[in-house]
Amino acid sequence: MRSPLLLSLLFLAGVNQAADLKLPMKEKSVRFAIIGDNGTGEKPQYDVGKEMLACYGKFNFDFVLMLGDNIYGGHSASAFKRTFEDPYAGLLQAGVKFYASLGNHDSTNERYYKPFNMDGKQYYSFKRGDVEFFALDSNYMDPEQLDWIRKQLSGSSARWKICFFHHPLYSDGKMHGPDLDLRKRLEPIFVEFGVSVVLTGHEHFYERIRPKSGITHFVLGNSGQLRVHNLRRSEDVAKGFDTDCAFALMESTGDELHFQTISRTGETVDSGVIAPRGKP
Amino acid sequence: MNRLFSMGLFFYLPLLLLAQAKVNQGSLTLQEFDHLVMDYAKLHKTVRSKIPAMKPTKEPAAIDQHERSLARGIREARATARQGLIFTPEIAAQFHALLDQTMHGPEAARIRESMKQAAPVQLPAISVNAAYPSGAPLQTTPPSLLANLPKLPPELEYRVVGRSLILRDIEANLIVDYLSSAIP
Repeated sequence: MRSPLLLSLLFLAGVNQAADLKLPMKEKSVRFAIIGDNGTGEKPQYDVGKEMLACYGKFNFDFVLMLGDNIYGGHSASAFKRTFEDPYAGLLQAGVKFYASLGNHDSTNERYYKPFNMDGKQYYSFKRGDVEFFALDSNYMDPEQLDWIRKQLSGSSARWKICFFHHPLYSDGKMHGPDLDLRKRLEPIFVEFGVSVVLTGHEHFYERIRPKSGITHFVLGNSGQLRVHNLRRSEDVAKGFDTDCAFALMESTGDELHFQTISRTGETVDSGVIAPRGKP
Repeated sequence: MNRLFSMGLFFYLPLLLLAQAKVNQGSLTLQEFDHLVMDYAKLHKTVRSKIPAMKPTKEPAAIDQHERSLARGIREARATARQGLIFTPEIAAQFHALLDQTMHGPEAARIRESMKQAAPVQLPAISVNAAYPSGAPLQTTPPSLLANLPKLPPELEYRVVGRSLILRDIEANLIVDYLSSAIP
């Protein structure tokens, strides 16, 4: 529901035209947005923030997942303002929550920054409706964290289990590529305990990878940063976008998880539906 | 048959005993490492107990202030700290052996790929009691590497910088010790 406050915020933000949203936008669904490698403090990040706010006007997502590299450079108070508080001011004022994971450019002590909702932890989980989210610290996947995620996933009865962190297990990036050691350790746990979706960043483009062992992997590291034409042609790429910045929206309706990826200019660059694990 | 067995024993027993002695020495050295990092963790807690506790806050300046105060307190408490205080020559030798084994073992190729993927970090200089430079990325420490290194108390972590292995105080963002040429 759009409040007068929200409408004023949208007006004040000089809002971009919201993308043509195709999600089902059902009542009582779990709605969220996703950004990665966003914390540059530069114009493209602000443009993405404006487009997100425009989409919020239509889609009313409750929270935003952050895939790491939330703040580039130093971590002074002004850096937090320039790279987070200002670009997403409208969303923050509207009460949208942000849940962060840590990238290689982040300070570990960002976990104490309340608006990132990490509660002082490098890895954590939270649940919304039938979806459970697991934020991992892929910078430091020690045996303790591996034990933790195994226990959390095995104990979760959520219909949808979504893991998000910085370094991709699959990627067709020319710059980095997949983290094979991380994949070797995490993928068997994800497969065993029914993770449906893995969201990562690090590569400065958008890529949806054809499902691997039943898991759909997204790489979304262009919500502020951009590495133009850095995506390699590969049969693994279900959809790629490496010519502008982007963010994604997701909606769980219980039986299905809908997604739509939107560029900073409001163009829909990908959309689709994911079925829960074990279903065709 | 008995004679053959006795001869075998005669030749191989000293080698077996020598190997066992090396293993025992290795585990004693790692126990010593455990003691040293636990001592450090104790010192960290003592210093931390003297400054306001860090709780989630909306104020980034408070986070920065806490990090700096903790680092300052630890620096004062370890004013004479230098490289090799935790990675003593014996412990360093043991770590070199562990890392050598890992980096030449069946997981080596994957670990090297992972390190390459993670955007390798080079710092102009590394020194004990210095802050890990604000703004410099933290390179991923590959999980298979971590699985082969001794466990650390929660106050500390291993980080790879170039070919060095750093012991970093997470909350104080402080370099506690480092091992040069650790990654073969």
